Amino acid sequence: MASPEGPGAVTSSVNEPLDLVRLSLNEVVFVKLRGDRELKGRLHAYDSHCNLVLGEVEETIYMVDEEEEGGNGEVRTMKKQSEMLFVRGDSVVLISPQA
Amino acid sequence: MSAPAPNGASAGAPQSANDARDPSGFLSEIIGAPVTVKLNSGVVYKGELQSVDGYMNIALEGTREFVDGKMRRSYGDAFVRGNNVTYISADS
Repeated sequence: MASPEGPGAVTSSVNEPLDLVRLSLNEVVFVKLRGDRELKGRLHAYDSHCNLVLGEVEETIYMVDEEEEGGNGEVRTMKKQSEMLFVRGDSVVLISPQA
Repeated sequence: MSAPAPNGASAGAPQSANDARDPSGFLSEIIGAPVTVKLNSGVVYKGELQSVDGYMNIALEGTREFVDGKMRRSYGDAFVRGNNVTYISADS
């Protein structure tokens, strides 16, 4: 697929979406997963399925106390730390390099 | 389907000069434009479309995340895995 902007364009470092992930190797990334979970950690490896290997990870899980079930609709968060984590690609929603 | 046509692959269906009638032609045409991307979860992302691939994986720049119409977060760059995408709309 030809790029309409040509090779000299400003965005030439990102020719395909996964280039954004490639540029984040060994950097800290934010990952949004299915099931209201988020990860923040250093990206050690990835592949085209978005399988990821993250190090020094903090996982945040969001839980809503459903009002119908006697809760108050409040969102609770739970945090977990892991030294190393393999993430299966199919649960990945979004990956963002952390500034 | 029927057997392959003996003549060239482009025979038959009317073809306009540009390929914008083809969905991936539309996507490559709106690269660089501000877009709205809606995911199956209902979450909406607005940002500038950097690139798209055949899986509909998307790279966005200057992305804002909206949940139930309210802005929740913003990202400098964001990669969205294609399987989560419901639609991509070029903002006017």
